[in-house]
Amino acid sequence: MKRDKAFELIIKAFTLVSVAILGFIIFFIGAESLPAFRYSGLAGFFTNERWNPIGADPVFSILPMVLATIYVSFLAVAIALPIGVGTAVFLSCIARESARRMLKPFIDLMAGLPSVVFGFMGLMVVVGYFEKHFSMSSGESVLAGGIVLAIMILPYIVSTCDTTMAEIMKSHKKTSDSLGVSKWHMIRYLVLPAAKRSIFAGAVLALARGMGETMAVMMVIGNSPLFPRLLGKCETIPALIALEMGGAPVGSLHYHALFAAGLILIIMRFAVSMAVWQIKKGSDF
Amino acid sequence: MKKFWSLIVASMMILSMALTGCSQQPAEEASKDEFKSQIFFKGSSTLAPVVSQIATDFIDANETWNKVNADFPEKSIDLFVSAGGSSAGVKAVIDGTSDFGMVSRNVKDEEKEQIKDYKEFLLGYDVLTISVNPENPIVNIKKNLTTDEVKKIFSGEYKYWDEVAPGLPHNEIVVVTRDIGGGAHQVFQDKVMGDAQVKAESIQEPSMGALATKIMENKDAIGYASSGLVNQNEGRIIPLEVDGIAPVKENILSGAYKISRPLIVIKSGELLPQEQLFVDLMLSEEGMKTVEKMGFVPAK
Repeated sequence: MKRDKAFELIIKAFTLVSVAILGFIIFFIGAESLPAFRYSGLAGFFTNERWNPIGADPVFSILPMVLATIYVSFLAVAIALPIGVGTAVFLSCIARESARRMLKPFIDLMAGLPSVVFGFMGLMVVVGYFEKHFSMSSGESVLAGGIVLAIMILPYIVSTCDTTMAEIMKSHKKTSDSLGVSKWHMIRYLVLPAAKRSIFAGAVLALARGMGETMAVMMVIGNSPLFPRLLGKCETIPALIALEMGGAPVGSLHYHALFAAGLILIIMRFAVSMAVWQIKKGSDF
Repeated sequence: MKKFWSLIVASMMILSMALTGCSQQPAEEASKDEFKSQIFFKGSSTLAPVVSQIATDFIDANETWNKVNADFPEKSIDLFVSAGGSSAGVKAVIDGTSDFGMVSRNVKDEEKEQIKDYKEFLLGYDVLTISVNPENPIVNIKKNLTTDEVKKIFSGEYKYWDEVAPGLPHNEIVVVTRDIGGGAHQVFQDKVMGDAQVKAESIQEPSMGALATKIMENKDAIGYASSGLVNQNEGRIIPLEVDGIAPVKENILSGAYKISRPLIVIKSGELLPQEQLFVDLMLSEEGMKTVEKMGFVPAK
C-alpha cells in the first residue's frame, strides 16, 4: 500500500512538473513581451507603419506578419486538403490491403522529413521555377511558401482522414455490400459525409502545424515585412523570430518585441487548437 | 497535506532545473604561483567560431601544457570560447569575468577608458562586397558604383536596373540582405546607408550562405556578400567596386575599402606566458590561415 502511495505521488509530481513548465513558459513569454506592448501600445503593435526594430526609435508593427502567417498556412491547407482527402479515400476504401500497407508508412515517413530539406527543395525547385517561367524578378512569394507548406502538411491530413475513413468503411462495408451499393456510391454518400468532421479536424490540425513551420517557409518567402500578396514576398511570425533573434541584444526593445510576436503566434495557435477540440468533441469516430 | 508536499517537490525540481542554467564564473583569483590552465574567451558570435577552431586545433595537437613548453606543468589545456555578442565581450573584460574579449567592431573610446591596461590583437576583417550575378550586364558596363548609387539601389530609389545605368535591362532590382538587426547589416547600415532605410521589398536571408546562393541563382539580384564567400565562389558571384575601390586584400588592409569591420581580441592587463603563447598562435601564419578559411580577410 505504501508503495502505491509513493508511486501515486511520483506520478502526480511529474504531471505537476510538466504543467508547471508549460505555465512557466507562457508566463515567461508574457512577461518578456510586456515592455514591447507598453512601448507601442496594444493597438499600435498592430497598426504602426512598419517593422523597423533598430535605430534610435524602433517601430513595431506585427500585422503584416500575422496576415502573412494566416495567408500562407490557409493557402497551404487549401492546396493540400483536396489532395489529402483524395489520398485518404484511396487508401481506406479503394487500395487493397497489401497496397495500403505499403503506401501508409510511406506517407507517414513524409511527416518525418526534416523541414530544412523541404525548404531547400522549395528554394531550388519552386522558387527557381517561378523565376524562370513566371517572369517574376524573384520567385520568393506567398504562393511558393504555400506550395512547400502544403507538401509538408499533407501527411497530417491524410493520416487523420484515413484512420476515420477506414473505420467507417469497416463498420458499414458489409451492410452496403449486401444492399448492393456500389463502392463509389458508398464513398460519396456515406464515407465522405460521415468523415466530414474528421476531414475538418485534419485540416485545422494541419493549419496549426503550418502556422508554426519556420525553416522551410523562411527559405522561400523572402522575409520582407510587407502586406502579403499571392505573388509578393512576405514574412511569417516564425520566420521573423528565427531571423531576428540572433541579432537582438538580450533585454533590448527588439528582443521584447520578438517575444511579443511569439506570444501572438501562441495565441493564434491556441485558438486553432481550441477549434480542433471543439470539433473532436462532437465527433463519433 | 499531500497536495502541499507534491507541490514542494515539484517546485524544487523546477528550481533545480532553473539553477543549472546559471554557470560558474571563471575564477580570476587563482593564486599567483598556481599555473592557470584555463583561458576564457567571450564575445562576438562572428569571431567565436574562428577562435574556437584555433583553440580546438591547439588542444588536439598538444593536450597538456607541458607538451607546448617544457617549463609548464602537466595540466590539460582548457580553452573556453563562448559567444554572446561584441558588447558582452567588452563587458566581460571590464568586469573581469573573462580573460579575453572577442569584438567584431571598433572598440569605443569610452569602453577603452574602462579597461585597465587595454590591449588589443587584430585577427582580421569581415568584409562585405557589393556583389551581383555574373549574368548581369552591369559587370561589363559599369563595374564601379558610388556609395550614393549603392544607397539608392538598396533604399529602393532605383527600382529597375536601367535606372542605374543606361544599357542595363528593364528588370526589377532584387535586393538581398541579411536580417536587419544582425551584425552584418549593421556594418552596411553604418558604412553605406547612414540614415536611409533598406527598402521593405528586400529579401532577408537567414545566413550569409543563403544570401550568396540567392545572388548566384538570380540574375537581377544584388547583395552584400561577405568576401570569404565571394572568394569561395569565384566566377559565380561578382563583386563590384565601390567609389572606385575594389574589395581586394590590399585595399582592405590599407583601410581604403570601407565596408568592413575589424575582428579583435581584447585583454586587460599583462598576459600570462601561456596566454601570450596562444595569442601568438592566433597571430601566426597558421592562425591567419584559419581566419581565411572561415571566410574572413586575415590581418597579415
